[in-house]
Amino acid sequence: MNEAILTARGVRKTFMSGDRRLEVLAGVDLDVAAGESVSIRGESGSGKSTLLQLLAGLDAPDAGTLAWAGESDTGTARRGRFLGIVFQSFYLIPELNARENVLMARRILGPIDAAARKRADDLLAKVGLAERAKHLSSQLSGGERQRVAVARALMNSPRLILADEPTGNLDERTGDAVIELLLGLCAETQTALVLVTHNAAHAQKTHRQLVLRSGILVHG
Amino acid sequence: MPWYLYLALKQLFPTGRKFPFFTAISVLGVALGVALLVISTSVMGGFGYEIRRMIVDTQGEVQVRGEGLIADAAGLQARLATVPGVVATTPFAEGVVGLQYEGKPAYPAMQGIDVNRVGQVVPLERFIRAGRLDDLDDDSIIISSKLALSLGARIGSRVEIYSPLLLEKLKNDEVLLPRELRVVGIFEVGHQQLDSSVVLVTLRSMQELYGLGAAIHGVNVKIAPKLDADVVATRINGALPPAAQARARSWMEANQDFLFILQLEKNMIFFLLTFIIIVSAFSVTSSLLISVVRKTREIGLLGALGARPVQVAACFCFQGLLIGAVGTLAGLGLGLGTLHFRNELVAGFTRLTASEEVLVRFYQFSQLPAHTAPGDVGLIVACSVVISTLAGLLPAWRAARLKPVEALRNE
Ligand SMILES: Nc1ncnc2c1ncn2[C@@H]1O[C@H](COP(=O)(O)OP(=O)(O)O)[C@@H](O)[C@H]1O
Ligand SMILES: [Mg+2]
Repeated sequence: MNEAILTARGVRKTFMSGDRRLEVLAGVDLDVAAGESVSIRGESGSGKSTLLQLLAGLDAPDAGTLAWAGESDTGTARRGRFLGIVFQSFYLIPELNARENVLMARRILGPIDAAARKRADDLLAKVGLAERAKHLSSQLSGGERQRVAVARALMNSPRLILADEPTGNLDERTGDAVIELLLGLCAETQTALVLVTHNAAHAQKTHRQLVLRSGILVHG
Repeated sequence: MPWYLYLALKQLFPTGRKFPFFTAISVLGVALGVALLVISTSVMGGFGYEIRRMIVDTQGEVQVRGEGLIADAAGLQARLATVPGVVATTPFAEGVVGLQYEGKPAYPAMQGIDVNRVGQVVPLERFIRAGRLDDLDDDSIIISSKLALSLGARIGSRVEIYSPLLLEKLKNDEVLLPRELRVVGIFEVGHQQLDSSVVLVTLRSMQELYGLGAAIHGVNVKIAPKLDADVVATRINGALPPAAQARARSWMEANQDFLFILQLEKNMIFFLLTFIIIVSAFSVTSSLLISVVRKTREIGLLGALGARPVQVAACFCFQGLLIGAVGTLAGLGLGLGTLHFRNELVAGFTRLTASEEVLVRFYQFSQLPAHTAPGDVGLIVACSVVISTLAGLLPAWRAARLKPVEALRNE
């Protein structure tokens, strides 16, 4: 339980807009242990998404260090295995049905086999969409799409899931259900979770609550 | 299957959607270009092929002609027979005559042929539509179909022949008596000019009409199959003594200018029609570019899932290739299908516009010829697939350049 899955030290990120410098992250420190869930709240524009992208290794910090399970580089392919990401806007591939979207996470890493197919079906069943496996994302509601995205994030049995306002586009009840699902599945599979959210009630359900304010993380 | 090929297929043919409109339009563009190329090069090739066949079938593959008259016909043929590659020879004499039937005149080119040998060199028999080649003797004539039609002559009709020799006699105040010949055959080659202005008689008749004695104008030569006519012609020229005053030319050399123009025409058509494929490739490029822009976020997501930029590029390049391949296949089908029914189509068209006469007179053929050369088809397929794949490069490059962070920043 004490193994460090994610470590950030003094992470800084500055954007230039015109000739104005915008220091979004001013030295963020963060430790996430295996199986631990952490919530990050903050005002809109406070840099939550920016931080999450750095934590995902999609972008590099201007200063500071990041380590994933002790390694300083996610590596493109390693990222797909180590991390699952859930976004506010689902980002399902419209040409694929729910099952194919879930399988896509595995396909990118290599050939898929019967076991992978079975896992995709099991995950869809776990998020309550066994009946909808053959449906395109356009045939699913917002909540259902986000559940597919959750299943996709879990497909490769990652050590860590990063979720950026996963309920931002959902109504309250649907959002609650998705959060329950996400937390439940992460706990069940001992997957660490960093959950960015506006919703205080959702934040309360994680092991640890942090707030991003003035470019640094503080206890909330 | 690698994920990028899988996704390319899915984007072109999405799960559960019956008719992918985007794909269909792009494929149709390529298909139309390919079909047009196949049809026009085949028809051009058909004209060329028909003309070549007609030349070879009426002149033989190699023709030996004297600078003047060839007095020793037998000697020349004996010598030709010793040249390797020469299979058969047949002598001929030729000249324009005046022909009259029931008061209607015509001035056909008359060929004197050796009835016993001609069949070994050219398949004359095949062109006889009525009567028989074997019936041709020194008192008879075989006339071409259009000529027969315009004169109203039939098998058994008697036609009168005036040769330049008769004019000589007239000058000497001798009696002018035309030669009377009986029509024993009517031939049709399928070439407007030959079918309206050529008549055949025996070599002896021709020699008499022109006062040639035993001399001939030349010899048509058949060569062994698969041999090059130019090679044999060169060999013959090597074997003929300078004293023979005769020279062999292959049918290709004899019709050089004409064949050159034919090839040039075909190349021009190919060149011009390739632009249709290039234009349709631009439409493939623009529809794939639109697709890249529409899918910016999905592409970003793929990056977040661990996709590498080259793989993303391959996904779009492969879509270009697929559109090209499917379009080319459809175009081949469309083109070959159209060619198969070309005569029905042309018949329908000419009936609508009442222009059959024009077609025959202008193109010398009553049926639209087509000859699809495998080499041409191969070139068309290669061009079209390569061009369509190139069409995918620009969108692929755009997609590969997208950074996941930027692609995903949507709020
Ligand atoms: N690429 C960028 N260039 C300039 N400014 C950026 C860029 N990315 C984010 N920002 C700015 O950084 C700030 C933080 O953005 P973001 O991390 O999306 O906030 P949050 O997710 O907390 O709402 C915003 O003011 C945003 O405009
Ligand atoms: Mg955000």
